[in-house]
Amino acid sequence: MLMMIWRQFVMEWKLYSRDRMAMFWTFAFPVAMLLGFGVIFRGGDGPRLSVVYVKPTVPEARDAALLKAMDEVQLKVMPLAPAEAEARWGRGETAAEVLTDGEGYRLRLNSYLMAQGGAAAGLVNQAWLMAQARLNGAPEPRRIPVSVESPGGRKASNYAAFLLPGLLGLNLMSIGLFSVGMVNVSYREKGKFRRLAVTPLPKWVFLLGQVLQRLTISIAQAIVLMVVGYLAFGIRNQGSYLDLLIVMIFGTACFMSFGFALSSFAETSESYAAIANLFFFPLMLLSGVYFTLDSAPRWLQHAVTALPLSPFLSTLRAVFNDGSGLAGHGLALAVVGAWAVAAFLLAVRRFRWA
Amino acid sequence: MSELALRIRGLRKAFPKVVAVAGVDLEVARGEVFGLLGPNGAGKTTTLEMIEGLTAPDAGEIEILGQSWKRDGQQIRARIGVQLQSTSLFNKITVREALDLYGTYYPKARPASELLDLVQLNDKADAYHITLSGGQQQRLALALALVNDPELVFLDEPTTGLDPQARRSLWDVVRRMKAEGRTVLLTTHYMDEAEALCDRLAIMDHGQVIASGTPASLIAQLAIPSVVELTFDGAAPDPAAFATRLGEAVEQRSDLWEIPTRDPKGLLPRILETAETAGVPYQQVHIRRATLEDVFLHQTGRSLRD
Repeated sequence: MLMMIWRQFVMEWKLYSRDRMAMFWTFAFPVAMLLGFGVIFRGGDGPRLSVVYVKPTVPEARDAALLKAMDEVQLKVMPLAPAEAEARWGRGETAAEVLTDGEGYRLRLNSYLMAQGGAAAGLVNQAWLMAQARLNGAPEPRRIPVSVESPGGRKASNYAAFLLPGLLGLNLMSIGLFSVGMVNVSYREKGKFRRLAVTPLPKWVFLLGQVLQRLTISIAQAIVLMVVGYLAFGIRNQGSYLDLLIVMIFGTACFMSFGFALSSFAETSESYAAIANLFFFPLMLLSGVYFTLDSAPRWLQHAVTALPLSPFLSTLRAVFNDGSGLAGHGLALAVVGAWAVAAFLLAVRRFRWA
Repeated sequence: MSELALRIRGLRKAFPKVVAVAGVDLEVARGEVFGLLGPNGAGKTTTLEMIEGLTAPDAGEIEILGQSWKRDGQQIRARIGVQLQSTSLFNKITVREALDLYGTYYPKARPASELLDLVQLNDKADAYHITLSGGQQQRLALALALVNDPELVFLDEPTTGLDPQARRSLWDVVRRMKAEGRTVLLTTHYMDEAEALCDRLAIMDHGQVIASGTPASLIAQLAIPSVVELTFDGAAPDPAAFATRLGEAVEQRSDLWEIPTRDPKGLLPRILETAETAGVPYQQVHIRRATLEDVFLHQTGRSLRD
């Protein structure tokens, strides 16, 4: 039986490696995503909140004081002439901008980017209080110190570092739902499994061979992504590689089985695409790949922890970004593992050769 | 152990729009080559796929090598070899890899080299499946059906779409299977193939067995063991007037007339004479023995290829 699984696994790899185009894109796509998003959101100097400062026509003492104080509270200030600032605002790129208004200032916040703008506004206000105290010769107001850190507290990571585990997870899900599920439906449609149906090959051996092969692909993919992440953005795995491997195995088993299970509900590739998207997009959007759900309703935040992608990603991020061990993430891994087992059993039960 | 390799009772299968198999009984003895003969759509493939465990029957009993699908599915699969009507493998698997891979699915497997010899695919051993010709793919399918050294082999239209030379070489492989003591159940719509290969056969039409027996006994059942044929250059004319004159039944085919008879020697001079006086523009005259084609025609009123 082990021999059968092994041969199935080796054959899957051979067949896969002969499809050069598919192999290329499997590896190129996540790397392109990482490079693309990483560069777009890098901003050059780490995770600082930025604010546009509309330059007054005649700078006064208070302006210099505010600028100095804003720098002290670690705001990234972009001084722009009024016309430039307005154009940038019009393009929707500005989250918050500071304008001169009479004796003081006014803050304009972009309603679409409230998370960044709101935080920046708080810092601007703090800077202005400091600047006023200094201008009036009053005692320096004492500030509450702020530090910027990743949740695990080890390293202040940038967006690319937040993105990388997300891409790993998203990638697993897309291999599972599209590469595994789609390929199986189309092979079944083309009758490629019919010949297997008249052999004693058990369905679970066939499925397990495929899951194992996809597992090695996804690990190879993860290695490529991590190397690129390190070279391009200096992102490093902060945790143990063994923990990372364990999390990846759980995730792969889960999403590959998910793909198999879903594929049993579709008769044709076309209907499969619709079904897969039905699962892919909600899982992707709700599971913190691109943003966190801090502002979502509480029930939704609880609900997504029961879906597989969210606990998988939180554990992956905890290990990768924060160097946390797996000890505190037993429940999350259990959720992913339960999905993996349930999906695999469902897949074996429903799998059809023809 | 049962002397029968296969016993089928009352097998039925209906699809939403058509009753494919309407009550089929079959018995195949161990070691014989048994043919299911019939036109396309007669229900041969559906019958075979129910026996192979690919399609669930609506009703009926199937006993294979003394076992039943309900209880002994995995054991049956290990003891039978199957060639499907079209075997679709992964495009980029090589011939040798396919044989090795399928070998691992069985408790015992014949070495790939032996199978490659048997079906003469040695020079294609390392070619991808997708690069093989139709005949080569069929031979690979045949080799795959033999990979587990099966007791019972199912071949679904093994020679359809092959050129005459490829057909002959496939026939040799089937004869070798019989010589090795295997039981073979094959479907075909070629009469010559059934006559050349099968010990016994069943003729199917509209989902039912309409006649069965050895090829010779089926032909002998016909009251008319011989057929005189008049061939024409182009389409055969209406034979009604000629038939009346001759006083015998004449059947019109696309480019020939057929006159079944028990006494070809006596009838031939009369045919020639009548044709001469009536000015029938025939090209050639043949006398042939009745074939399975005639049996089928006699049973169904239709030609096999219609």
